[in-house]
Amino acid sequence: MSQHQERQFGSIPELLAHLAHYLPAQGPIGVFIHHNTLHAFQHLPFEQAVVEAGELFGAEPYMSEDAYRADLRRGRIRREDIDAVLAAEPNAEILPGRLDRTHLRTLLLRNPESHFDPATIQWRIEEGKLFTASESDLFHACLERVTTGPELHPSAPTRPRDGIFSRTGIDIDEEIHPLLIRLSAAYLDQGYAYWPMPLRERGFFAAALALLGQKLSLESGALSGLAAECRRQILMEFTPEESILNSLEFFAVPSGNFEEFLKAELLALPGWAGIFHQLEAHPQLAPHVRLPASLAAFLAVRLLLVRVATNNALSGEARLWRTTALVQRDDRLAKAARKFDTLRRLGLNATEVRATDPVAWAKLSAEIHACGPLEIRRLFHLAYERRHERQILLPLRTFRQSHPPQPIAEPPVAQVFFCIDEREESIRRHLEEIDPAIHTYGAAGFFGVAINYEGIDDAHAVDLCPVVVTPQHAVRERVPQHQEAHFARRQSLRRAWARFTHNGFIASRSLLRGWLATATVGAFSLLPLLVRVLTPRQYTRLRNLFNEIIVPRPETELSFTHSGEEEIHGLQFGFSIAEQADRVAGVLAGAGLASNFSSLVFVLGHGSTSLNNPHESAHDCGACGGRRGGPNGRLFAAMANHPDVRAALVSRGIEIPSSTWFVGGYHDTCSDDVELYDLHYLPEALRPQFDRVRASLDKARAASAHERARRFEFAASARTFDAALLHVEERSDHLAEPRPEYGHCTNSVCFVGRRETTRGLFFDRRAFLVSYDASIDPDAVYLGRQLGAVVPVCGGISLEYYFSFVDNERYGCGTKLPHNVTGLIGVMNGQSSDLRTGLPWQMVEIHEPVRILFVVEATEAAILKTIDSNATIAEFVVNRWIRLAALHPESGAISVYRDGVFEPLQGEPQDLPVAAASADWYRGRMEHLPVARILASEVHAS
Amino acid sequence: MTHPDLLILLVALPGIAFALLGILWLAGLHPSERLVRRFTGFIYSTASLLAIFLAVFSVPVYATLGDWFAIGEYRFPLSLTLDPLAVPFVVLTVLLTGLIGAFSARYLHRESGYLRFFLLLHLFAFGSLLLFTAGSLDLLLGGWELVGITSVFLVAFFHARPGPVSSATRIFAIYRSADIGLLLAIFALHHFAGTTEFAQLIQGPWLERSSSFAGSDALFTGFLLLLAAAGKSAQFPFTGWIPRAMEGPTPSSAIFYGAISVHAGTYLMLRLQPMLLNSTPITVALIFLGLLTAIISTLAGRSCPDAKSSLAFASVTQLGIIFVEIGFGFERLVLWHVAGHAAVRTLQFLRAPSALHEHHLMHAAAGGHLEPTGVHLEALIPTPLRAWLYRMAVDRGHLDTLIDKFVTLPVLAVAAWFHSLESRLVSTKLDDANESLPAALPTKSDA
Repeated sequence: MSQHQERQFGSIPELLAHLAHYLPAQGPIGVFIHHNTLHAFQHLPFEQAVVEAGELFGAEPYMSEDAYRADLRRGRIRREDIDAVLAAEPNAEILPGRLDRTHLRTLLLRNPESHFDPATIQWRIEEGKLFTASESDLFHACLERVTTGPELHPSAPTRPRDGIFSRTGIDIDEEIHPLLIRLSAAYLDQGYAYWPMPLRERGFFAAALALLGQKLSLESGALSGLAAECRRQILMEFTPEESILNSLEFFAVPSGNFEEFLKAELLALPGWAGIFHQLEAHPQLAPHVRLPASLAAFLAVRLLLVRVATNNALSGEARLWRTTALVQRDDRLAKAARKFDTLRRLGLNATEVRATDPVAWAKLSAEIHACGPLEIRRLFHLAYERRHERQILLPLRTFRQSHPPQPIAEPPVAQVFFCIDEREESIRRHLEEIDPAIHTYGAAGFFGVAINYEGIDDAHAVDLCPVVVTPQHAVRERVPQHQEAHFARRQSLRRAWARFTHNGFIASRSLLRGWLATATVGAFSLLPLLVRVLTPRQYTRLRNLFNEIIVPRPETELSFTHSGEEEIHGLQFGFSIAEQADRVAGVLAGAGLASNFSSLVFVLGHGSTSLNNPHESAHDCGACGGRRGGPNGRLFAAMANHPDVRAALVSRGIEIPSSTWFVGGYHDTCSDDVELYDLHYLPEALRPQFDRVRASLDKARAASAHERARRFEFAASARTFDAALLHVEERSDHLAEPRPEYGHCTNSVCFVGRRETTRGLFFDRRAFLVSYDASIDPDAVYLGRQLGAVVPVCGGISLEYYFSFVDNERYGCGTKLPHNVTGLIGVMNGQSSDLRTGLPWQMVEIHEPVRILFVVEATEAAILKTIDSNATIAEFVVNRWIRLAALHPESGAISVYRDGVFEPLQGEPQDLPVAAASADWYRGRMEHLPVARILASEVHAS
Repeated sequence: MTHPDLLILLVALPGIAFALLGILWLAGLHPSERLVRRFTGFIYSTASLLAIFLAVFSVPVYATLGDWFAIGEYRFPLSLTLDPLAVPFVVLTVLLTGLIGAFSARYLHRESGYLRFFLLLHLFAFGSLLLFTAGSLDLLLGGWELVGITSVFLVAFFHARPGPVSSATRIFAIYRSADIGLLLAIFALHHFAGTTEFAQLIQGPWLERSSSFAGSDALFTGFLLLLAAAGKSAQFPFTGWIPRAMEGPTPSSAIFYGAISVHAGTYLMLRLQPMLLNSTPITVALIFLGLLTAIISTLAGRSCPDAKSSLAFASVTQLGIIFVEIGFGFERLVLWHVAGHAAVRTLQFLRAPSALHEHHLMHAAAGGHLEPTGVHLEALIPTPLRAWLYRMAVDRGHLDTLIDKFVTLPVLAVAAWFHSLESRLVSTKLDDANESLPAALPTKSDA
């Protein structure tokens, strides 16, 4: 644990740089990147990390014991899982011949423990209601043998608030937080407030001192003297760091305790501290206004408020906060009660307890203590994950053995690339069911083109690529010359609309203009109010129609060919032919598509559109940095269609026939809309074939919407595919809808391998599907690249959902309903709270918190080599932040990675449930469904 | 049914809805979301049709419910009135409650407090309709209190967290303090005028109303009524509660603090306008209070970077102006202003969770360059004054501190003094009685 570490930090900035690791790593919410919530603990094994982090943040490491027990009752965890988990743990003799550890733990896991707290036990003993006579005897025998343990050390408070609270009952956080939160929010505001904070260009510390130091301001009793203290610090010309040191001196914190003290202060409002740090470390994350943000400044202002409040609460004797001992409860009764409870079930009586020799008692006692509530939850969790593992791997093995992947004789009707996203699993499966002659592929949704992109309707350029990549190439959407006049007209109309809306926004809130606006034309907003609430889809339809008439979108084209020297903002403009060929080859060969091309290849990026959803970006494409990946699909297709690129591809071992055409597109995972780009370039000869695929795509998106709708209670009326499509469109347009889509809520598996291996299986939108073909990758080069990209991304998503689910208040951001968009950078609960980070309950409520299970279709040796050569993957795998299994590409044998080695998957073959079509399998059911074989989507090996 | 019966039915409908759902709940039956949704839809569709029908065909309508009680000549009659003044308030209440019901059915789907929310919404609608159609202050008080208490419970809707609960407690305290004004005003009117019936206090048809109740009695009563209205409509010095009310779910924020509840104070003032304006000090106080509130709120609102507080202060800014308009005697303008304001604000509140999405669209349409704000007129203010004003705005006009310092703390001090007095008195008595007890009882210092 950190307080035991012998680490010394030379200066405040160094110390803060270290402490910043403990703060949430979430940036402004407009661009939401999924990452491991406990990133700072990733160097530790998972089980250790969740406990240490749990202590530090006051958060839960696993689901509650009750939740696991409920899963045990309903069969989600089976007794065989518990037995298997315990069998894998080290065993030890406790009472020779009578009891060993496995036996004890089996007993504790299978039977619910009674929950005892000392006060209840005391009271019930006194009331005589706790025990029968013999039990009472046993309890007292236990109590006699329970030592009080080490003397109860009264612990010193780590920060003034705790000391003051236990001394006086005053919670100074309640006095300082409202002001600190308002100042922080106003400082970081990205243009929501009409009146930007004066002097904020000088930095948070200077601006706060200047404002709080104003004379003639009314100060509350708790903060009286604040202005004077600010003026003193201004006079002393403190930097934030000097101010922090000065405050540490004021609180009489010994230098050895700086870390502990400052960590506790920062973690009092981790969200706000975190956003200051994020904007300091990555100023480019600020969506509109770049400000000199600094964690030191935030901390300095915080300590300034704390010292004033401490001074007032302790009437000038500020140093007293440290000398207050925090009360600790005597847990002797609870300890005895746990032992009693266990021993009673073991069938021991009081005489035997009293007769047990001290050594054996100590052993027994230690074993019972070691299998405390936390340990029980850990074991349950392993059993919970084991069941999941078997639900996935056993059917997969059965299916793979009965359906070895067939070599494809002739090119399919079309090959369709989707993002690897598990939400695309359903539309892919339905597409294959509707037209078995279509093949689908999964590749990370930026399709290998890391770009800085600006479309004609965008405010400015953004990076469309995973966050760990910095794009080197700029790509722009342009309007062809003959459309320029039309485009100019459209732009000026859009500018006018923006001015009008912006004015309306301001006017309705201000004094005089607000008067004019509300008293005269205000009543007319009753109309949009009625339409938007009662028939949101009609509203959108009307708006789109209106846009279509007034500001139709011009034809556009992508400008992406590098022609020599051109640069934009220090980035190379576009890609040279060789660079384009590299990217195209990388994606195609990585996905195992190097030959046998169809005449139509689709490349669909994805994103998500919704209202009432500050977390909208969390539903966008993670591989595009939390943005929408349409332009990447469009660009990839345009590159692959370029004759020069195709020529260059030949030397890279990929020969695309001249009859093949690539079509780029975009899939909205919320409304299930599919948009295809640049169709006017489509060769006329391919038109009939294209129409067929387009029709299948339309059917598939409706079917996918239907499958999604099964999860929504509100979608009871969406019985047909078309009704379901209307339903999900409405979700996307509804002002009141807190669950526009369930996002990655169902993620639990990542399959890396050929689609033929999984095609025909129903994965319930739970599996990321990464296309990879080991047979054309003998040196595991592409495997390294694929895993290097998908392990952090899918692992991060899985872990963010895990933590947001197991402790939605601490690691997640609670229910969405009281969320209040603040400064365009995040959400607060209500009018004054910490900036909430993590995922809201509505996004995770149906999640099963398991660490993601990677199934890689490659040899064990290739996988082990990849792990060894990539430190990031190794950390995820070795520290058990993800689970891993190998599926042999030739034999189809499955083995599971456990502590450095692959062990063959145990278990008898099972029959797979079979359904004619996906809809037959899921219709009328809301819960997570087991893997099933879907006949309609199997490739006909005719 | 006659028109008066229809009016009674209109007012009773949400009350019936509340009672039915409440009885189901008490009986241990948990009505499904679907049932609640459909039932709510039915109630407010019917109520809206009724309200519009009455408004178009039969204003004014009077309905008498008999006497509450009568002592000799003195009677407490209970009656409902739908006159041109009440019409916009009544129509808005049923329309907007219906809309908010439809909105909330989605918004609160799967929330554990779903039924609780709808119960409170129905009770609120019933209270509002009673308030706006009451023929006398006696009956109005009933509606007024229902609106107040439902408001407090909805602010505390997320009662698992301390923030909403402490905000709700504060709002409750402020409502109670301000409502003393209404209660005392009712006593005063019974005493001075012998009635609280509007028909007796105010004479003449709409737009030509007058009141014969004047003089120091009217002045005294007027100030009490103003106190009540200021509390309900978040006027100076009570404005500090309005941002705290943003702890509740968004749809309840919309209907309470954007549309109906906060306008109840303006309704009370408007209802008794001729009487209030008979007194110059009250007129001046109305205008002054409204102006002060508008200025402080617009400053505080301008510094708010969060969607909901910003709207809350925008709301109070307009309420301040409405008070000014009432002071100047602009009856028709006030009605337009209230209706327009309620409609605008409700829509804005419902759009608040989509603020990011909308700002993004607007910013993109503007080509990434929105006009900077707060740099035009503000530039005329000297820098030091600007900083001082901003400091005041960030602390929301120091109004909470003002109340804490000059009301709460003195009251607590007095209470503490009584407490110590009491314990001194009690302990003396106990000492007298316990002299015979052994002295070896453990005391706190031993432990």
